Amino acid sequence: MTAPVTTDSEFDDEVPAADEGGRPAARRYGLLALAAAVVVGLLLGYAGGLLTPTLSRPGDTSAEAGFARDMTAHHNQAVAMGLLAFRQGQDAEVRQVGVDIATGQQGEIGTMQTWLRSWKLDPTGEQAPMAWMPDGAGLVKDGLMPGMATPEEMAKLRAASGREFDVLFLQMMIRHHIGGVHMIDGILDEGHDDDVLAVAQVMKNTQQNDLTNLNAALKRLGGTL
Amino acid sequence: MSISTPGGPERRPTVVSTGKKPAAGRPAAGDKPAAKAGAGRPGGGKGAPRPGAGGKGRKPVTPVKVSQGRSWGPIALFAAVGVLAVAIIGIGAWSVYQGAQPWQKRADAINGMVDFRKKDKDLVKGGNHQPGTIKYEQSPPVGGPHNQAWQNCMGDVYPAPIANEHAVHSMEHGTVWITYRPDLPADQVAKLESKVKGKEKLMLSPYEGLDKPISLQAWGFQLKVDNADDGRIDEFIKTLRVNASIEGPNALCDQGITATGTTPRDNVQPNMPEQPTQ
Repeated sequence: MTAPVTTDSEFDDEVPAADEGGRPAARRYGLLALAAAVVVGLLLGYAGGLLTPTLSRPGDTSAEAGFARDMTAHHNQAVAMGLLAFRQGQDAEVRQVGVDIATGQQGEIGTMQTWLRSWKLDPTGEQAPMAWMPDGAGLVKDGLMPGMATPEEMAKLRAASGREFDVLFLQMMIRHHIGGVHMIDGILDEGHDDDVLAVAQVMKNTQQNDLTNLNAALKRLGGTL
Repeated sequence: MSISTPGGPERRPTVVSTGKKPAAGRPAAGDKPAAKAGAGRPGGGKGAPRPGAGGKGRKPVTPVKVSQGRSWGPIALFAAVGVLAVAIIGIGAWSVYQGAQPWQKRADAINGMVDFRKKDKDLVKGGNHQPGTIKYEQSPPVGGPHNQAWQNCMGDVYPAPIANEHAVHSMEHGTVWITYRPDLPADQVAKLESKVKGKEKLMLSPYEGLDKPISLQAWGFQLKVDNADDGRIDEFIKTLRVNASIEGPNALCDQGITATGTTPRDNVQPNMPEQPTQ
């Protein structure tokens, strides 16, 4: 770029002569090219502006999308356990913590599903559960992510009552929360979306608080993990 | 870019004016260096003097029109870059648009799927709770009135047939219900189980009297396939699970009927200890 400009100016000084006959055509062409360049530039800028939000939002295989989908599944089971505790728990604190977890985590499911919708992604991913976490997929056993209860354990909880239910619920929910916090740590490490990170941090705070109280309640009821 | 392109034609005359032969130019007969230089003068705001007006230390030369056909190199380059850029952006935009197509459009693209939302709008309105046994037009049913209790759809794998009246309610909540003919080979059943286990809004059960080995249902949609390796199964689940729900992603799947049996348990409180099981 620099060299031609320099020689052009030298040339201007040396040869003030110009060919009048060739000028209008060259000038027309120059203007046309300039106009075309400006139009193409504007179109490219417009297209780039349109595409940027699409390209910058989390994609189908992103850690954010994986977290939103997998944590929805994980939370769904906690909601199920919490509702059982609210209805079947004998201990007042078990009933109370049960409904708190059920409503709180159902709300977080709504947040995560809204993310997916705003990212134009399906609630269902193509990847295996936990595949967004390093070495995550290997932790899934029979479709269950860490901390999740088996169908047999859930059936046992449904059938339990009295103190047996209370202790079983506390044991299962403590395991469930430990698995949940592990997954939240995964997104805190892998994630980039500020809103996702903020919500994940609140989830972690809540579940760690719950863990303190669940453990204390289990001890109070004479149960062990 | 926009400035350098019109400036392109000026480069060659400058070189020519130093006395060198144009490297790859088209030296037409009568083409003289100074003339070329004059013709190629950069277009500026200043008025350009005529060649014959007498320049500083330059011989007046005959004006030769050489502007035509000289600048095809830069033009071609400019056009090529422009076309390339537009193509890249266009392909990107198109693929993003395709990927972000609403699920209804992607559902239409699933080969062999029946969309009852188009055939029978009343069927898929939903909402009606109706006690007792209900007669459905489709087998297995894909929508319509249903019992107040839903079948538990927390990735449940049912070893025996379940009641339509509860399963339809689960589909209203966004569940994809996978059914298979009881004679489906065990390894194929295992493949279906692995798709369902641990994922809410999915459930699996055998179904008597199916006309195909496997039938997938979502609210208002049905796809029948011959074996568990059919790629459309995953496509159906991805496209329609939760999306096909008319009640949204927060509809509950737990607290439903966990027992099997095709007789509806309408008046039984789900999950209570006295719930009959088979």
